Amino acid sequence: MDYLMHIGIMLCIYIILVLSTNLTVGMANLLTLCQAAFYGIGAYIGTYFLMQFNLPFIVIALLVMLVTGLTSLVISIASVKLKGDHFILATLGFQMIVYTILYNWVSVTGGSYGIPGIPSIKLMGIWGIHSIQAYFVFVLAVTLLVIVFFSRVQRSSYSRFLKAICGDDISPQASERNETRMKISFFFISAAFSGLAGLIYASYISYIDPTGFTFAESVFIITALFIGGVSKRVWGPIVGAAVVVIFTELFRFVGFPDAMAANLRQVIYGLVLIVLMLVRPQGLLGDAKLK
Amino acid sequence: MLGQFLINGIITGILYSLLAIGFALVYNTTKLFHIVAAAIYVFSAFMFYLFAVTLGLPILVAAFVTILLTMGLSLLTDVSVYRPLKKRKASGNVTMIASIGMMIAIVNLLVMFFGTGEKSIKTAVCSSFSIGSLNVSIPQLWQLVVGVFVIVVFLLLINITNWGIRLRVLSEGGGLNENSGDNMSNTRTMVFLLSGAFIAISACLSLYDISFSPYMGIEVFITAIVAMFIGGVGRYGTCVLGGIILGVLQAVTSYYLSSSWNNAVTFILLLIILFLRPQGIAGYKKQTV
Repeated sequence: MDYLMHIGIMLCIYIILVLSTNLTVGMANLLTLCQAAFYGIGAYIGTYFLMQFNLPFIVIALLVMLVTGLTSLVISIASVKLKGDHFILATLGFQMIVYTILYNWVSVTGGSYGIPGIPSIKLMGIWGIHSIQAYFVFVLAVTLLVIVFFSRVQRSSYSRFLKAICGDDISPQASERNETRMKISFFFISAAFSGLAGLIYASYISYIDPTGFTFAESVFIITALFIGGVSKRVWGPIVGAAVVVIFTELFRFVGFPDAMAANLRQVIYGLVLIVLMLVRPQGLLGDAKLK
Repeated sequence: MLGQFLINGIITGILYSLLAIGFALVYNTTKLFHIVAAAIYVFSAFMFYLFAVTLGLPILVAAFVTILLTMGLSLLTDVSVYRPLKKRKASGNVTMIASIGMMIAIVNLLVMFFGTGEKSIKTAVCSSFSIGSLNVSIPQLWQLVVGVFVIVVFLLLINITNWGIRLRVLSEGGGLNENSGDNMSNTRTMVFLLSGAFIAISACLSLYDISFSPYMGIEVFITAIVAMFIGGVGRYGTCVLGGIILGVLQAVTSYYLSSSWNNAVTFILLLIILFLRPQGIAGYKKQTV
């Protein structure tokens, strides 16, 4: 039962991450390769707040989301200035730079040793959540809120308006300022919620090191998104996250040696991506065509 | 001591240049962000290891077979995935995701067979010679000589031969498309074969000197992609410029800080270049139609 709850918690974390990615890829049509960087920034900043201050969860969460959101300005500025491959390359660069800093700035991040003994979150500053059952219920509630939030954002008239003006059929001068505003707000939300996922992860596992926030992790999140489908609704990303997380767990029971299983799983993901791009580029449940 | 680092940096830069040309050949002509080439590079290194160490073939034979196989794999990625995607009029992003998919599949398949451990073909302590206080090992000398030779021959060929000039014009202009003539498919095939050859040569040369692990391989290749963008898009000499700049920059970083900061420095330089001069130091300004 505890094992199922562990899977549930990890699933919730990935749902938040994939939803965040879907926002920029699906709504703004900007493919990024740096989601794991925001995830990592959130995890490390969250760890700092958890270890230094005895604050209620909601305060820490808002602080983490604010700071992580601010770091997304680098990417939104890049998205305004750079087009196509150059933008994707810049996001890859951001991912690499963040990882290198997490890995090398030993005095702050602990380098490759990571940071052990992260305290669990406290709901109102007093009641700590210790048992896995309580944690599961708590994370589930947070994730449901996040899902509702994203479905609101993606359906709101504001973002439909922004999406409409982002189309090619309107004069670029007229839409430029709004487009910039849209990119900044979408990247901010996307990064902030990835940061929240990082905070949840750090306090749940109670140990973080840089290897959880690599380029490969970014690619993994993108894989989950494209399997589920880039979508204006929230179901695509949720199904995508569920498929990769549950598939990962099922694979443990097949009986391959552990090291082999991880790689074989990746091979399958890779092949699935290729086939999807050939047959159904918008993913299983996707409706937004990627330009 | 710094001089030693600079020499090493230039030699590493030559290896980056070879990879950058391998990437640029595909990127400039077909506009594909051919990131699966990183996996092709890993494949190439493992094949060289397989033939030279596991099967014990002579180095030159092993290198030759490796180059052929790598060219084959490079062409296979085009025929099996890129061309069908092109037929379906897939967008750049969709093609890139497919390319990432191929990269994940190939690298992990290789890791399943070869493991993640570091591979090295060095059988004995290599002799080296010194000029003043500078030390150059024999494998490094080979890297320098073969690398420079291949690059010079390539740059000459694309300036003299008909095919080369055609390639250059394609690269500087809009790339390969339906308008570029009847033998488009042949040119495309040649480009992918040649790209594979460059990747394989770099893989063999680098494995000849240092040990190799798959994840390191991907990082090295991504650095080479950065080298191409820094040097300039649309040309080939620029790959060498970018490669050597990065090689030396990384050597200097290793000297003053530590080699683990290399990636950060590389990508900060990339971001600076992308913002200030998107076409690269000596690239052609992109024409948008």
